[in-house]
Amino acid sequence: MGHAGIKTVILLSFVLAVGFLMIILSCALYSNWLPLLVALTFVLAPLPNAVFAHCGGDDFSTDYEGSGPVDLGRFITAIIVVTGFALPLVLAHSEIIRPAACAMSIIGGALVYGTILAYTATFRQEESDYD
Amino acid sequence: MSLPRSNYDPRRVCLNPFPNFSLGKYRRTIGVYLAGGLFALANWTFLDAAILSAHAHAPYGEPELPPPVHVTFADWVPGICSLLGMLVVNLIDKDRVRGEEGFQDPRAVWRARLFLFIGFALMAGGLAGSVALLVLKYITHAYEEQYTYYGYASVSQNVALMLSAIVLWMSQSVGNEYEYNLSI
Repeated sequence: MGHAGIKTVILLSFVLAVGFLMIILSCALYSNWLPLLVALTFVLAPLPNAVFAHCGGDDFSTDYEGSGPVDLGRFITAIIVVTGFALPLVLAHSEIIRPAACAMSIIGGALVYGTILAYTATFRQEESDYD
Repeated sequence: MSLPRSNYDPRRVCLNPFPNFSLGKYRRTIGVYLAGGLFALANWTFLDAAILSAHAHAPYGEPELPPPVHVTFADWVPGICSLLGMLVVNLIDKDRVRGEEGFQDPRAVWRARLFLFIGFALMAGGLAGSVALLVLKYITHAYEEQYTYYGYASVSQNVALMLSAIVLWMSQSVGNEYEYNLSI
């Protein structure tokens, strides 16, 4: 994937756009803009790992060993991802948004987060080629 | 040099004999992610009940009839207890609880075990409190199913919080054992 090139980037940006389109449609079709929080949640999801990744691990420890700050980052990441899926379900359960809006925002959020994950994976492999 | 860790130590009162899982080298990562997911799931289960209660409307057809019961502050207390207990349990240094050699202060082990006991007591108290709340506030009044759901949500919140704490503890202590093997 190191030479994935421009096709991967275009594909990923297309999927990202579709994900945001789904979320915005789920808001705009019912003129209830609460599902937009899902987009915010999934955009924030990789942030803790990025912040805490450089806290743990000196030269003498292995990569997968983990330390307190790295674990905290992973914990917060898992919390945010589950929040992104649970928020539309909770809103739909208490009849604040429609079930269709709930499904669309979940699908859109999954697309957005999948894009972020895939982009991180390709970027990380390029970086390890450099090492 | 160091001695291999014995499986049985007569000084130990509070054994934590968790079986050794072998999920490969990513077990710590998987455990931490799983614990975070369970934590979020627990809190969203209860928040679902709270939001549902805040938006509860009268049954269709009889609009004068208000909902008979709401989620009040009493429902939040068991969850807060479990949360505090989880915080206390996970703030303890796990090597101290095991009572390994190398610490100057032997009373530190005793204190660590005391705090571990307090943490687990808080979590168990939260669980027992949620069950008591379910029985006393919802089941004995024989509410409808959509209202007893609040109680069940509180119970499942506390169960999931306890599971999350256990998974987190297990994954982190497994990681410590691996580190110990490396240091030999």
